[in-house]
Amino acid sequence: MELLNNLALGLDAAISPNTLLYCFIGVLLGTLIGVLPGIGALAAISLLLPLTFYIAPEAAIVMLAGVYYGSAYGGSTAAILLNLPGTPSSAVACLDGYPMGKQGRAGVALFITAIASFVGAMIGLTALVLFSPAIADLGLEFSPADYFALMLLGLVAASTISGGSALKGLAMVMLGLLLGMVGTDVNSGVPRYYFGYFQLLDGVSLVVLAMGLFGVAEVIASINNVPARTSKERHVTMRSMLPTRDDWKRSLTPMLRGAGIGGFFGALPGTGGAIASFISYATEKRMAKDPSRFGKGAIEGLAGPEASNNAAVQTAFVPSLTLGIPGDAVMALILGALIIHGITPGPMMMTQQPGLFWGLIVSFFIGNIMLLVLNIPLVGIWVKILSIPYRMLFPAIVIFICLGVYSANNSTFDILLVVVFGFAGYLLMVLKFEPAPVLLGYVLGPMMEENLRRALLISRGDMGVFLEKPISATFVAMTVMMLAWSLWTAVRGRQRGRPVDRGTPQSEQPDDTHPQPHDEAATVGKNGSVTGPRP
Amino acid sequence: MTMKSRDYQDLIGGGLLTAIGLFAAIYASQWNFGSMTRMGPGFFPTVVGILLALTGVLIAALALKRTGTMPSMQWRTMAYVFGGIILFSATLRSLGLVTAVFLTVILSSLADRETTWRLRLVLAVSITGFVVLVFRFGLNMVLPLWWGD
Repeated sequence: MELLNNLALGLDAAISPNTLLYCFIGVLLGTLIGVLPGIGALAAISLLLPLTFYIAPEAAIVMLAGVYYGSAYGGSTAAILLNLPGTPSSAVACLDGYPMGKQGRAGVALFITAIASFVGAMIGLTALVLFSPAIADLGLEFSPADYFALMLLGLVAASTISGGSALKGLAMVMLGLLLGMVGTDVNSGVPRYYFGYFQLLDGVSLVVLAMGLFGVAEVIASINNVPARTSKERHVTMRSMLPTRDDWKRSLTPMLRGAGIGGFFGALPGTGGAIASFISYATEKRMAKDPSRFGKGAIEGLAGPEASNNAAVQTAFVPSLTLGIPGDAVMALILGALIIHGITPGPMMMTQQPGLFWGLIVSFFIGNIMLLVLNIPLVGIWVKILSIPYRMLFPAIVIFICLGVYSANNSTFDILLVVVFGFAGYLLMVLKFEPAPVLLGYVLGPMMEENLRRALLISRGDMGVFLEKPISATFVAMTVMMLAWSLWTAVRGRQRGRPVDRGTPQSEQPDDTHPQPHDEAATVGKNGSVTGPRP
Repeated sequence: MTMKSRDYQDLIGGGLLTAIGLFAAIYASQWNFGSMTRMGPGFFPTVVGILLALTGVLIAALALKRTGTMPSMQWRTMAYVFGGIILFSATLRSLGLVTAVFLTVILSSLADRETTWRLRLVLAVSITGFVVLVFRFGLNMVLPLWWGD
């Protein structure tokens, strides 16, 4: 069977000692970063990106991906113990995880979280293995017009769906598109937006942009703002982690349901783990016999979203690896890393570099098993690490940023450029603009321009080409619907906003009937300060 | 701050984005726009710039009708962190890795109000040691360790 052959090929590539080592480093760092509030997966991957120039591309991608899915495990630890989500997608884990911790069941909560994460990841991975070849085949049929329409849909979806104001998200994407144009235009050879600096002729480096927007900006926002983290649960013993029979029974179906929800939403562009976990939480609450238990330590409210989050993280690789189109900023970063290493992600990757593709997939399986080990017996270490004060961490982060940026091009100019983007990123945070879509626009920009140019060349300048074929017509229709929806909510928000006396300008979200966990997460991610109860 | 405060975040943000979009579009007029059939290097920048400017106007216009608070920036923190990064960039090649890391840690750690000088020195020494071991010897990065190297 072809699938088994492919997996065997992947296993071959993934169990080389070197790849295993980098896989381990990746998931270890991912867990660490997930545990620590004030450093997100984006910042962590941008920090590690320059290091990967010194290792083989396969190992590099395995490691960066490990950081990504590893952080999805670690994020909930801080949420359960301290009511601080380590990553935005684990904000939901605060809702029932923290109350469980207060009831003295932190161990059980941590254990179920690890199991749910593992189950979710495995189901997401299975979906990735089963659907990727078919989607890549489909991708081979895509014309430039189809690609352009799909990228447009991806950008619009990512900026309008993922939290905050849709208009602001769209503006951020366009800002990213402009940044992607800096440097020599591949087609005409004309240098654009380089303002006389020859260092900019090759464009703004991905490392500089990501480190500035996420690394430096996060550091500035977190200094003097991350509260001292002390937890009563200094010692989580193995014995205290064992769930009761009742816990198992309550968590199993939510886990499976959550994994299904996460797997579906993860593969769509724009909807990542945060949204998937929120939808799973809402679903579990609706299906529960006694919804009033939710928010007071219901284990279903922890298991479902956690599985959902991790499944979404795995299926997020589907569009990225098969079509070369990243669904969110982290994926854009990983794709950017692939491109730097000379690998073009997309439908051809699976046929031209099957070892790399399937090796990566098998490494996900191995990485998740490692994570299970890291998160259950070693949870005590993570609990201790939580109490490292931020003031001891950030000087090291500043140094890593400087060295990482420098090493990418051996350029001190790039270090100064990181200050510019750091300031821009911090300004965006202060003004409550989400910087993540900038990166997406930056990575997709050059590809979009190229595909638009080709599509129009083939059609002799006729814009109708985007509506003639069913594939691109579908994407265009979906894009238009999303734009219409977001414009409508923006205007409706204005009407409702007139008498508003609430302090937050972003409260004009479509439905405020549910508690919005990603709002909370966004606040934590943005300035590191948390309004929630301090332990 | 007056009682009738506007949504300054969106006002400022929308204004800035409009300015950037307009600038990008006007700056792009020096490149050949081309035609629909043959897009020139000025085509995409002009279109995106104009769209960004329009979005910025919309964001700012909607903000006029909303209340909000004046955002505050951590100027002091920013000064120390950026100062540290600029210092690093200025000293890495001339004074070497060890000095650059040491000085940058000292300067940027001043951003935290509660860091004592004792902790600051401990951090500077240990981070310098770690960085030299990992980057210079572990990853074999080509970097001068000291001045004159």
